[in-house]
Amino acid sequence: MSRVDPRVKLLWVVLCTSGAVLFARPLWMLGLTLFTLGGALLLGADFLGLGRRLRRFLPVLAMLTAVQILFVRTGTPLLTLGGRVLVTGEGLWKGLAAGLRLVIVFCASAVMMREDSRRVINSLIQMGVPYLFCFSLFAALCFLPLLSEAFAQALTALQLRGVNLKAVPWGQKLRLYAALIVPVLTEALARVEKLAAVMEARGFGALPRRTIYGRASMGAADWAAVCFLLVAGLTALRFYLAS
Amino acid sequence: MTAIALSDVVYRYSRGGFTLRCPALELAPGELTLITGPNGSGKTTLSKLMCGILRPQEGQVRIFGHPAEELSLGEIGGRVGYLFQNPSRQLFASTVWQEMLFVPELLGEDLPRACGRAQELLVRFGLGELKERPVQVLSRGEKQRLAICTMLMGGAEFFILDEPTAGLDRTSREQLYRLLDELLAQGKGLAVISHSQELASRWRARRVRLAEGRVVA
Repeated sequence: MSRVDPRVKLLWVVLCTSGAVLFARPLWMLGLTLFTLGGALLLGADFLGLGRRLRRFLPVLAMLTAVQILFVRTGTPLLTLGGRVLVTGEGLWKGLAAGLRLVIVFCASAVMMREDSRRVINSLIQMGVPYLFCFSLFAALCFLPLLSEAFAQALTALQLRGVNLKAVPWGQKLRLYAALIVPVLTEALARVEKLAAVMEARGFGALPRRTIYGRASMGAADWAAVCFLLVAGLTALRFYLAS
Repeated sequence: MTAIALSDVVYRYSRGGFTLRCPALELAPGELTLITGPNGSGKTTLSKLMCGILRPQEGQVRIFGHPAEELSLGEIGGRVGYLFQNPSRQLFASTVWQEMLFVPELLGEDLPRACGRAQELLVRFGLGELKERPVQVLSRGEKQRLAICTMLMGGAEFFILDEPTAGLDRTSREQLYRLLDELLAQGKGLAVISHSQELASRWRARRVRLAEGRVVA
């Protein structure tokens, strides 16, 4: 399945991530997560690598989920302590939904990470999408593992300054993770600037048209997958809006 | 006591098939050890094993007598400092002063005492004038010195420096050498990964040479 046309994979990514943003009901979100996981498996996602990546982001995932669970005050009270409502039904759902959304995004990026960037760019250009846009999109996706690596290194560096993460209280941890993002983002911005300069120096965008060496072609299975995804997507949308 | 000891260590990367083997290596406190070898020979892998960032599949790493696998990175960091090739990744605060106090504040340490120590270290390592300067605008050499100062704040006794001279001009290298002199004078141990002949000829350092994932000398 790894030779599936990249346009099919992109359509799958667009459907899954759009659904993640659109769906606001628990069962729909759960169904979409299962659909995304199944799709990622079929499209050859590196689940071991994905697991490693998710493990690094687990504290952030847990934090986002916990913030939603604890700070959403509307809905049926589920857990109270001394007359004070700690967790509500809506808070619990919103927390889980935030976590599931991130899982969907990680699955989608895990599939695209294994795709040859040249194939993706070529196939999109064949569809008439501007090359500048195609390259920018894929460069952004390629930055994800680098960001993850930079974040992991910053976390290691912090621990090597004598900080035992397990002993840091949750309130302090929030401040800690916020601080860790600073060097990671600064480095990412510096990298983007360098990339832009290097691309310009190599004549990127100097000519209005580009030639394509390897043309991507959609096979019968690819067209069938596109039809299935479109029908599934539109049907899901129709039922979701009607329910 | 030996600061860091490796015995029969084997580390294999899951991807790429590279394997590092280190039958025996002992690094003493107060000693400078240069780790040299061609690109891809395993220098950075060895240095990461020495401070617990990587855990070996076989053999044992002992840090100040304790097996590394029994220590958390936080516990190791209290005694061993690691300077990454890119020091920007280990600096988190907005200004030099805030960077020095970042961990003491986080751990709820005695702040007046930490401030005194931070001031003393910044002055000693030539960063006293840069206290209010944003970390991001510091030069590479200044970032390295600041990173080492933060490790000293944490009480590190042994320092592992990954390619510290890379990308430094002559003046910055001289400042780095003075810092290394100062650390050695304080009895701190140093393991420096470097290709620099200048560094090798400046000190009568012990040399550990790596080739194709093996310690050859």
